[in-house]
Amino acid sequence: MIVLLALVVLGTLLVGTLFAAMLDRSHLSIVAFFARQRVETEAPDRLNRDLAPAWYLTLAGAGLSVVPFAPGLALIDSPVGIVIWGSCEALVIVTVFLHGWSPNAPFPLIGAYRYAAIGLPVMLPSMFVLIAAALPAESLSLIAIVESQREIWNVIRQPLGLPLFLIVALAMTLRGPMDYADAADIATGTSAEASGAGRALWQTARLAMLVSVSAIAATVFLGGPLGPLLPGPVWLWLKTAALMALIVLLGNRIARTTPSRMMWILWVVLLPLSFLHLLISGLVAL
Amino acid sequence: MLTFGIILGWAVLSVLFALAVLPKAHATAPQAMPFLGGGTPDTHAWQRFHFRPYTMSLLFVAFEMEMMFMYPWAVVFVEEGIKALAEMGMFLTILSVGILYGWREGIFRWE
Amino acid sequence: MMSLSRLMSRAPAPVFPAIGPGRQADVERLLSRSGLRAAATPRDAAILLVAGDIPGTAAAPLARVHDQIPRPRVTVSWGHDEPDAIAARIAEAWREVCAGGEGEGDRLPDEPPNKWKGVGPNGQGGKGMMGGVPYGRPMAMTGPDIRDGLQLDRYTARFGPFAPMLPPGLVLEVTLQGDVICDVTVETQPFAQPADADAPDLCAARMLRLLGLAGPADRATAGKKPRGVWMRGAVPGGLGSVDGAGDARDRLSRWLSGTPVTASVPDIPALLKGAEWSEAMLILASLPPSAILRACQTPEAA
Repeated sequence: MIVLLALVVLGTLLVGTLFAAMLDRSHLSIVAFFARQRVETEAPDRLNRDLAPAWYLTLAGAGLSVVPFAPGLALIDSPVGIVIWGSCEALVIVTVFLHGWSPNAPFPLIGAYRYAAIGLPVMLPSMFVLIAAALPAESLSLIAIVESQREIWNVIRQPLGLPLFLIVALAMTLRGPMDYADAADIATGTSAEASGAGRALWQTARLAMLVSVSAIAATVFLGGPLGPLLPGPVWLWLKTAALMALIVLLGNRIARTTPSRMMWILWVVLLPLSFLHLLISGLVAL
Repeated sequence: MLTFGIILGWAVLSVLFALAVLPKAHATAPQAMPFLGGGTPDTHAWQRFHFRPYTMSLLFVAFEMEMMFMYPWAVVFVEEGIKALAEMGMFLTILSVGILYGWREGIFRWE
Repeated sequence: MMSLSRLMSRAPAPVFPAIGPGRQADVERLLSRSGLRAAATPRDAAILLVAGDIPGTAAAPLARVHDQIPRPRVTVSWGHDEPDAIAARIAEAWREVCAGGEGEGDRLPDEPPNKWKGVGPNGQGGKGMMGGVPYGRPMAMTGPDIRDGLQLDRYTARFGPFAPMLPPGLVLEVTLQGDVICDVTVETQPFAQPADADAPDLCAARMLRLLGLAGPADRATAGKKPRGVWMRGAVPGGLGSVDGAGDARDRLSRWLSGTPVTASVPDIPALLKGAEWSEAMLILASLPPSAILRACQTPEAA
């Protein structure tokens, strides 16, 4: 059973990443860059340069493993699934930082520190939103959270949850308004010195994370595998694909403000909003 | 234990995949120079970098610790009822005063 | 293997533009076409597009940018051909690259920027943490910060003339502390551009790109209405205020509504000094290229 579930998770990740690349219209470019020269920068941190995309992929895989593919059935059947996903989110900041640190060049370095400054406060709304989803389930397990949505999905019961989590998803996948690591004013930031297969692998890992974060959002807010007629995994795939398309669309359409202003917005606007969200969710759950 | 095994499995798989697809990087001296739009740097980029939001990161630590209390709280919330809501409300109010104080002191400014 | 290279060649051709005098508008319009992709860094490119006559002073930077493109790479020079002809030549060059050709060699000699002088396992040379030239380049040294006076490292470098976030030709010598500009001087003024570079759609597109809206920017360049959310609001108010031309947000509003902006800027370094890097780049993009050129010329005249 475990082997079968592991294969399902791996298959979802592979097919999902391909789908994400097509949504992004970058699939052909990624293929092309796997075959090009990988340029060595001046005195880089070789170990972290090679490991950063590998960690990003690891976090995408580990995150997707806590998602239940059918009611009561997840690869990591943990009573603290939300905590595992939360630690994956936090480690994304470390991974992106290492990616920007390792080439020993100014633009990647600025991108890395900038992302750390935005990524840290983004963690707060993220955890408030996930904890609010745990309230009606009386458990930190994603399986229990799915069960708690049998009658009504969290997206309706906790209306601020999905919008707040979409902001987190944009930050986790380095997209559009939350892409402070790879901005245009620093020549694609942490990736400014990445070339050839290194660049292509980083893009792939970024798209793999889009699959995981969308699957988590589908589980926490859209009832995951719950749905009539079709089998559980199919519902999960459909909801995940819809959220992936939504996140890509939002990333392409919403403007990004300056990092200092975004940090202020995160603390002074989005954090109080997530307090409010927790209060509403708590009152509804009682 | 199984959880750790699965996460470790993902790590091993990802690292092996990365090693398999990443060729050894190589470059001549002019290729290796950091990209500055054709310009040249005086020094290495690695430095004692001035991380502007360092004051914000202190407040962040306070909130991260608070999250630890929220995990068990979320599990017993429905059981404890309105009492749990009031307790967390008080806790968050106190932390919010921290945000207001920090805001007044300018810790969300980029300096 | 044949089919893989054909698959690769169907990807949009990644082009890093080196824009010469008078060609900014042409290049920006060309690269917003589908089938071509403007790379923000040579690491992401395979084709170097050299538009116009690059003056001798910019020859060394051009060679540097050329060498930073991974192999195999091809240079395409754009003299006075029609845009369609150039797009076809770029597509041809990209197919050549995908087929695995040799491409061009380096233009600069394969020598490190400085001689290795150090002693010790990493060539660090000097005593303790300071001094020496590890791997052929010295380490940054401390200095007081412009915002809070902390003693941290100052990073000095020359950015341009082919930096995609700066006007073509402009070389700035910038001293950064973290991501804040502590000191800036204009080393070389930007290349002169005809009035079409000041066109409202192109100016708006330059700002939209900095706001992470590459798709809407391409639409604006193609003369369509850019579809974006929070485009004006994302620009902080009061940024880059200039007498008679409002701040950066006002200028973006006017460009988005199709009105040209004329501004007379007193001094570029004064406008950028003390700004965080992304704010500084927004300020520069919010000024019409002709205004930046005039501002860089006036100190010489005075």
